[in-house]
Amino acid sequence: MNLPPIASLKTSILLLLAAVSISAVGVYWSHEQDTEARAALQLQQAALNAARARQQQGQTEERLIVQHLDAYQALIARGFVGEENRLAWIEAVQLANQDARLYGLSYTLSPRAAAPATLASGLPLNQTRMVVKMPLLVETDLPRFFDALSARTTGVFRVNRCRLSRVSDVPPQPVNHPELDAECELLWFTVAADVKEAK
Amino acid sequence: MIFDRRLILLATPRQIGVLDWRPGHMHWLGEFAASEAGLAAFRQVLLDHAQLPVLLVVDTVDEDYRSDILPHVQGRARDELLQRKLKQVFRNARFTGAWRQARETTGRRDDRYLLAALTDGDWLMPWLSVLHREQAPLYGITPMAMACQHLLARLRVHEQHVLLACRFSNGLRLSYYHDGLLRFSRLIGSDMPTQLAGNAADEIAKTQLYLSGQRILPREARLHVLLLDLSGQLDSAQAPLNADPAFSTRRVELTSLARALRIPQDFLAATAEIAPLAAIAGEALSLDLAPPELLRRHSEFLWRRGLNWAAGIVAATGLTLGATYWLHAQGLRDQALQIRVETQSSDARHAAIVRNFPALATRPDQLGLTLALATQLNRKPLDVNALFMPLGQALAAHPDVVVKAMTLQDTADGTADITLEAKLADFDGNYRAAMSRIDGFVARLAATPGVAAVERLTSPVNTAPTATLSGKTIGEAGSDETRFTLSLQLRTS
Repeated sequence: MNLPPIASLKTSILLLLAAVSISAVGVYWSHEQDTEARAALQLQQAALNAARARQQQGQTEERLIVQHLDAYQALIARGFVGEENRLAWIEAVQLANQDARLYGLSYTLSPRAAAPATLASGLPLNQTRMVVKMPLLVETDLPRFFDALSARTTGVFRVNRCRLSRVSDVPPQPVNHPELDAECELLWFTVAADVKEAK
Repeated sequence: MIFDRRLILLATPRQIGVLDWRPGHMHWLGEFAASEAGLAAFRQVLLDHAQLPVLLVVDTVDEDYRSDILPHVQGRARDELLQRKLKQVFRNARFTGAWRQARETTGRRDDRYLLAALTDGDWLMPWLSVLHREQAPLYGITPMAMACQHLLARLRVHEQHVLLACRFSNGLRLSYYHDGLLRFSRLIGSDMPTQLAGNAADEIAKTQLYLSGQRILPREARLHVLLLDLSGQLDSAQAPLNADPAFSTRRVELTSLARALRIPQDFLAATAEIAPLAAIAGEALSLDLAPPELLRRHSEFLWRRGLNWAAGIVAATGLTLGATYWLHAQGLRDQALQIRVETQSSDARHAAIVRNFPALATRPDQLGLTLALATQLNRKPLDVNALFMPLGQALAAHPDVVVKAMTLQDTADGTADITLEAKLADFDGNYRAAMSRIDGFVARLAATPGVAAVERLTSPVNTAPTATLSGKTIGEAGSDETRFTLSLQLRTS
């Protein structure tokens, strides 16, 4: 079949070109619409997943709050959570020394520092080092002092190190004269409050 | 195809009939005489059916058929060969055509052709002029005998030598088919005396003799004659023909013809000429007598139809694809909307939960951790009494050991380290004896329950080969010279 003159087919050729153009534009536009809708759906699905996770987290947190709130508030009252209470600690060691009927003490509080990460368990745990020096009559005065301190203080502390040394080579005398020096290092722990993240 | 609609024209020197045909449907538009009025009416019909392909079936006595064997060639060479052959055989005839019917099975395996021509086509020109003026897409001119060939095929006639005798308004047409393929045809006009009923048998017999004489029909062959005459005028020819053993004659009944063509009987009975036209209407054209210039409109028509079809298919495909994407996008948007509502609902529930939270100094998830940490740190501080117990037992067993200083270190892993600085109470300068007493004390400590390990850090005499050792033997030996340091590891839990 020979090709007839193009002029006689002008209308049909134009019709075909128009159909191709309009179809291409239509398909491209609708495909774009589909792509955008797919992306929007994925975003919305991600938002829903996040919302569900938030809701689940909220429910979990609600349960945790109900479960632990009283105990946590007790820790706040004890001074474990929040700012450090140095005055209370000093009073506690002085009173404990008196309760154990010892002979006075001297103390040194170091600046607060972050506790080792292995101990902190991911919490903002701080520790304040207190060195206590006091004379003792016998070695058993030391545990009595610590028992008295535990009874006197509400704070959380740990005895890190103690050094007992004899003042002289004189054998122990049956008189009320302390012959031992004790130097103990206590660590007072506090967890920093983070009110911003509370809600 | 539903769009395969066309006009089939039956042209005779006196008139032209028009059949509007499409698969399964047909409509006889009438016959138009070869006069001014007829031409005008015919033109109007063409206008009413513009852009329909047109096939012209010619039924005239002025036709000629020749069978010929030509070398087997293809392509342009075949076209040129046939043009030369047609020119040679039919001289100046304008309407000629060749049909390659078969290929010889022996020898050079030449091609067998049927060459045909309208020896006088002048009467056709007015009709062709109308077709040309109205730009009708003529796709072929074919003789009536070719239409009758397709009618035979529809009637499922399988005999090898068949003579079809058709009587239409234009006269009696006798066509010979060999293996179903046209070899010869002639029309005996209605104005001739042979149209009388009794002479039909004679004409058939004469035709048989002619075919035998021309060696178109083998002499010993028995000719099967089919009588197609819906008016019944040829019925009388059946008996005399069947009396001759060279013939086997039977009539084609209206019912079988209508069934074969799937045309209502009354419609067929009203216009018998419709039968061959209906038979050829849907078939490919084998023998075309139209010169190429008359087919130009049809070529344009095919191109235009192809382009329009392509445009339609492209548009439909685009519309389908576009609609599919768009509908899918709408579905996705609906889903996104539902999910958004669900998200808002979930956020509202979360907000309602959080709204009731008390003010806390930490995140809720850290409450438990803080409590656990407090419990861990809040355990009893270094149990000095427990540490003094094994040490006191060892010292009680060795009263000659005087403790100078003691450092307790909580290692927080269930053990405590004690660094013990001591000396021997009395020393006579015998370092060997002093070292032996210290060894005994160390051994005693190591054997004491609760002591995990004992290590001597310093001794009165350092006998290690890598150490520098100095001393004096002048003067009196003091107990300070027996100072030693031990490191103990005690289990606290």
